Amino acid sequence: MRSFYNKFKIKDLLYFVLILPISITLISNGACADKLEKSNTIIQEMISKAKVNAIETLKLDQNEKSLRISSLIKEYINLNFMAKATTGSFWKKATVLQRERYKNALLQEIVKTVEDHLNTLSTLNYISTDSELRGKKLIYVRGRIEDPNNNKPPVNLLWKLATNNEGNLQILDLEIEGISLVSSHKAETMTILRKNKGDFEVLLDKYNKKK
Amino acid sequence: MMKNFKYILITLFLVSLSLGGCSGSKNVTKESDPFENLNRHVFGFNKYVDQKLVNPLSKAYVRNIPNGARKSISNHLDWMELPVTIANSTFQFDLENTILASAKFMLNGLTLGFYDLDNGETEILKKDFGSTLAKLNVPEGPFLVVPFLGPKMTRDFSGYFVDRQNMTKVSSTTVNDINLIEIPINVIDTRSKLSNAIDKLYNSPDPYTKMKSYYIQNRRKNVYNEKYHNIKNKNKDEEFEKLLQ
Repeated sequence: MRSFYNKFKIKDLLYFVLILPISITLISNGACADKLEKSNTIIQEMISKAKVNAIETLKLDQNEKSLRISSLIKEYINLNFMAKATTGSFWKKATVLQRERYKNALLQEIVKTVEDHLNTLSTLNYISTDSELRGKKLIYVRGRIEDPNNNKPPVNLLWKLATNNEGNLQILDLEIEGISLVSSHKAETMTILRKNKGDFEVLLDKYNKKK
Repeated sequence: MMKNFKYILITLFLVSLSLGGCSGSKNVTKESDPFENLNRHVFGFNKYVDQKLVNPLSKAYVRNIPNGARKSISNHLDWMELPVTIANSTFQFDLENTILASAKFMLNGLTLGFYDLDNGETEILKKDFGSTLAKLNVPEGPFLVVPFLGPKMTRDFSGYFVDRQNMTKVSSTTVNDINLIEIPINVIDTRSKLSNAIDKLYNSPDPYTKMKSYYIQNRRKNVYNEKYHNIKNKNKDEEFEKLLQ
């Protein structure tokens, strides 16, 4: 009985000390690799969809073109996060309606940027270079845009992704040659909000005027 | 002699301004802009000059000069800047960059830089005296918008004077005369390359702040080393994680 107890204890101890941590490490490594691969796939998928859009929307009118691009953006970009990140502490002061209007203004900004570069994008190649898990939630995906004719220098990109509330991986920020879109947008909105004592209406007016 | 003395005085004044602007602080993530009002006025002036003169000229340049010729001009202008990179890479003890930049300068010198004989294969980091001062831990100082030159950190502006002064010292009078023609061509060439980005910037709700943010992020990316970028990314990750909660 005693030897059985001892044997059980040793087995148990072995299990907890060696096998369990090893299996946890293996499982988490596998999950991590899976997450990184998924993030890479998402970026590749979004870029190929954008390229297809560039060709298919050539004959469409402006409204339809914008609609297709905005649905693509809503699928891949976490607008809620971007809105929060670009308005800092002022986000809490905004009403529900103002938040929705700001998110819409942000979406229109991104749509316009994508529209401006869509035709150029379709002629360039995107090459994924590496991906990295940062902390508990963030994933970095690095890539490069190259011109097959070597007319333009390569552009380095860094995508930052995280899982949203629905469990889908979405883009939080994009750094183009070290310039973060969220940071530059935040600098601008915070200056306007600070100068106007956090009045979201002034900020929204400025966006509407620029349309 | 008097001219050199003037340059030294300007440089010393600007370096002391940048030291004073950030005294006791090694934190480069804070953007100091004590001259914002003045900067906004100069930005307005530069925008006016750009819209009335530089932009129309750059459009005419793109319209009338074929792509191949524009690329050759661009290559030549890059080649002309290589001595600055060679000198500053040496000051920064970046041996690899010094050798690569020197080799490229000599190789492309066969075509006066108009044709890139290594097809852009060699990756050279552009270095100026501003980046050398950064290496010596001189703070970047307040943000400035300089008439005709555009955005500059005080430290980089003082570095610009040193680089120009060195260029004129090492080159002959003929080269200096060529420089007088090349500076405006460089401005037009750069404007034509950044045409979309600049037009989009003017259309943003606060063009000045956006320009400042773009400039500072880009400059820090080029000037600071891996350690700075790791700290910057770590801080940003923490900020993002908080927002995701």
